[in-house]
Amino acid sequence: MRRDIPIGKKRLFFDGATGTILQEMGLSAGELPETWNLIHPDRVLAMHRAYLDAGCDIFNTNTFGANALKYPDNLEEIVTSAVQIAGRARKEANREDAFIALDIGPTGKLLEPMGDLSFERAVELFGEVVRIGSGAGADLILIETMADSYEAKAAVLAAKENCDLPVFITVTFDAGGKMLTGGTPESVTAMLEGLGVDALGVNCGMGPEQMIPIVKRFVAAASVPVIVNPNAGLPRSEKGRTYYDISPDEFAESMREISLLGAHAVGGCCGTTPEHIRKEICLCRDLPFHEPVRKQISAVSSFSTTVVLGEKPVLIGERINPTGKKKFKEALKNRDIDYILNEGFRQEDAGADILDVNVGLPEIDEPEMIDAVIKSLQSVTALPLQIDTSDPEAMERAMRHYNGKPMINSVNGKEESMRTVFPLVRKYGGVVVGLLLDEDGIPETADGRIRVAKKIIRTAAEYGIEKKDLVFDALALTVSSNQQSAVVTLETIRRLRDELGMHSILGVSNISFGLPRRELINASFFTMAMQNGLSLAIINPNNEAMMNAYRAYLVLAGLDPQCESFIRTYAGTKAPVSVPDGGSASHGGSGEAGGAVPGSGSDGTAGGRSAAAPEGLDGTLADCIERGMEKKAAEAAGTALENGASPLDLVNGQLIPALDRVGQGFEKGTLFLPQLLMSAEAAKAAFEIVKQYMTEDSAAKKEPVILATVKGDIHDIGKNIVKVLLENYGYDVIDLGRDVPPEVILETALKNDVHLVGLSALMTTTVVNMGETIRLLNKEKPDTVTVVGGAVMNPEYAEQIGADYYAKDAMATVHVADTVFHHEES
Amino acid sequence: MIELDRKETLRYLGFRNGKEPDAVLQEKIEKCGQELQNAVRPKSIVRRFALERPDEKTLRFAGLTVVSRNLSKNLANCSSVYLFGATLGVGPDRLIARAQIRKMSDALIYQAASAAMIETWCDIVNEKIRKEAADERLFTRPRYSPGYGDCPLELQRDLIRVLDAPKQIGLTLTDSLLMMPSKSVTAIVGVSDVPVICHPQGCEACAKTDCEYRR
Repeated sequence: MRRDIPIGKKRLFFDGATGTILQEMGLSAGELPETWNLIHPDRVLAMHRAYLDAGCDIFNTNTFGANALKYPDNLEEIVTSAVQIAGRARKEANREDAFIALDIGPTGKLLEPMGDLSFERAVELFGEVVRIGSGAGADLILIETMADSYEAKAAVLAAKENCDLPVFITVTFDAGGKMLTGGTPESVTAMLEGLGVDALGVNCGMGPEQMIPIVKRFVAAASVPVIVNPNAGLPRSEKGRTYYDISPDEFAESMREISLLGAHAVGGCCGTTPEHIRKEICLCRDLPFHEPVRKQISAVSSFSTTVVLGEKPVLIGERINPTGKKKFKEALKNRDIDYILNEGFRQEDAGADILDVNVGLPEIDEPEMIDAVIKSLQSVTALPLQIDTSDPEAMERAMRHYNGKPMINSVNGKEESMRTVFPLVRKYGGVVVGLLLDEDGIPETADGRIRVAKKIIRTAAEYGIEKKDLVFDALALTVSSNQQSAVVTLETIRRLRDELGMHSILGVSNISFGLPRRELINASFFTMAMQNGLSLAIINPNNEAMMNAYRAYLVLAGLDPQCESFIRTYAGTKAPVSVPDGGSASHGGSGEAGGAVPGSGSDGTAGGRSAAAPEGLDGTLADCIERGMEKKAAEAAGTALENGASPLDLVNGQLIPALDRVGQGFEKGTLFLPQLLMSAEAAKAAFEIVKQYMTEDSAAKKEPVILATVKGDIHDIGKNIVKVLLENYGYDVIDLGRDVPPEVILETALKNDVHLVGLSALMTTTVVNMGETIRLLNKEKPDTVTVVGGAVMNPEYAEQIGADYYAKDAMATVHVADTVFHHEES
Repeated sequence: MIELDRKETLRYLGFRNGKEPDAVLQEKIEKCGQELQNAVRPKSIVRRFALERPDEKTLRFAGLTVVSRNLSKNLANCSSVYLFGATLGVGPDRLIARAQIRKMSDALIYQAASAAMIETWCDIVNEKIRKEAADERLFTRPRYSPGYGDCPLELQRDLIRVLDAPKQIGLTLTDSLLMMPSKSVTAIVGVSDVPVICHPQGCEACAKTDCEYRR
């Protein structure tokens, strides 16, 4: 039965360390503490009693490490007995007013993609403990010592989905004020409050003194009560033992300070004893108490980064979106996630604060695709993401697996839309974009749009969603068809801010459809919108005109201190440097110079080289490739082509011979792997330019080759090096990634009729899976040739598991491919 | 801050025969090295246990029983062992993952530089252990890790558990016994009242003589 816990109403006290006390009672290093619930229940009970007698209000069951990974056979017994012992202790201590917290610690595994525990498996593992513990009579769930925000999210979801008890969570920071995976008090508060926890805070990792700056940040960021459970000082290691040095008196004094800073519940972690807690309670019990203040902070977060709205206009990169982009659509159909990630990197480099993610295409499984893209993106960029979809299933999956508090695009004033989207926002958290339209369409006036905004605010409140988690899209309709549309949009933005105190968002470039020189309109409109209070702009951050307008606005609005950012960007520049857009299909020879990077002398040496062009023109491209100079290789290719060189001659006369020379140097030991790769990258950059001058049929058909790191292995750097080189030598690499089951490899080989499969393994433990893959291929697709490599491989091993070839390095794999496909005499 | 060992980085990059990288690569290594230094969060955990040796190839410490001739030889005359875990955190893995999509040659350099850096970090941790032992007039043996010689890789699981490594320093194991973060080391350091003259360590102590990175 749920009991109301007066957290945030009055100061509450948690207990102290469990492990420390049990060790004093004889628990040895490496012994699993939870087993004592079965073999020494009396000692566990004595520990609880001591804390209850010291006066704590909330005490933790001895279940920190209890999960099915550690207790595959008797989890239920372990957890049930833990709660029962706690119940007995409470009764014996005559402390029926105290609350039993079901203690949940981390799984001890890292979550995918860094580790091998899937998010949903983590939810399952936590869920199991929650079901058992709540069933046995715990009063609340305390998730603690979480050092990874993603695992914290899995635990909170598991708690929420498997019981109706209050959920408290405390996370752990290191001395640098970061969680192990990079989280900060602000980022994790945004995420956890979005998930609807009842209290949050910090435990373990350091002593109370070191925790003070972190406590201040939590109190400033959080709307829910803040819990602080430090260790008894920083751990000190001596003669192979860990000591916590802070005495009960010192601890209590620091906890007094922490309580005065605004912590709502305090207790202890490693090294603290009942005496620490007793002294702490004596000193803190009668201090003035302030209930938590609900903050009006609109924030989104990633695993490490928080973006707060309203400080200055926030830029959302719009390029991860297939609309009107042929290459992007192709990438989606081919599941080329790297292409999408690179689209993200380019926007990050250009200055985006948040990335919009829209992967909707009629012919693909959108929920599956957005899930994969979100998971991949959040593992390589620290920018928060905006989940942009109209498919509720896709929206839920992306929100569930997002590591942080996302933007959500979008809901609108229609009943059905609100009914679908708001429950998801309520459950998973997020800042949701409300489009100012409803069943009657888009109101023509600002009055009408404000009315829709008010309706959305009201309805959101019914779902428990606060104003701070809503932003409104004032909708920019094309000004060429209605000349009042910009005026109405701007008025709406201003009134949202002034009358409703709401943030606004705009897809800026819609305004100029149908007009020439659209960027003139877009940039000016953007400036006007910011001046009227626009909080978030959805733009292409690679567009110079927009970024110029943005940076100039920040200076003029007093948002660029010392004009530092502006000066850094523009000092010494004459004309804006344009970023080549790989999207253009052909080299039109227009004023825009197609995709070729203009040789604008961005570095000193380029000019010198093209001066030597008359006789050395051919040598220049080859030289750039051999020296691994990516940018200059592209420039050299562009110059040669503009001067009339034929694309095929450039490839056969320079590009390939240069690569061959580098390859030979590598094999002779005069050049090494990084140089080989840098040359490959330079050749690729040059080829991207050359390709634009080639006709379709001059590009030869490529042989497909499968590459995979076998099941169980999650390192793939070696495989990826092989991939770069094979692609360079004209093979079509089907990269299945890492941790790939044998069946998937077979299936892909059959489907694409692939004759060469390259397998990589790093660990001896996974070579068996390599052998199994080869056996399966030999049996089901005997015309497949296999080549193996990786840290633990050698020729004997390769023969043992039945591989056709062993490749000692990436170049050797290229030779194997050439032999198999008869491109080379063997 | 952990210094970047350029010589070791080059060795991991495959450089041999005293060859030096050209200016382009040199600059790239510097740049990646700096990024890496901003990204690492070195942590370590050290525990010490009494050592028993019921027979010539069996060792008992920390409630574990390990059968390994090679480790027994390494721990000859030792009466206790230090167990340690050290990691650079997830920073290098993030940089590598990101660079693998953006630019493979950067990924390779992060890989090599962080491999060099975790060794340097282990040397620092190891040196503290050596000094502590020296204060007691004791001598340490070269560090030894599961998977070396006939020392079973499965021992990894036990070391991680005994050290409480996931909670203490964020060092975890996959089901296939890979350490994550990948730039992590666990090791056993023997403590004895008898000095050893020769201190083979790293490559010289390794039985895999055909390794291409062997010094």
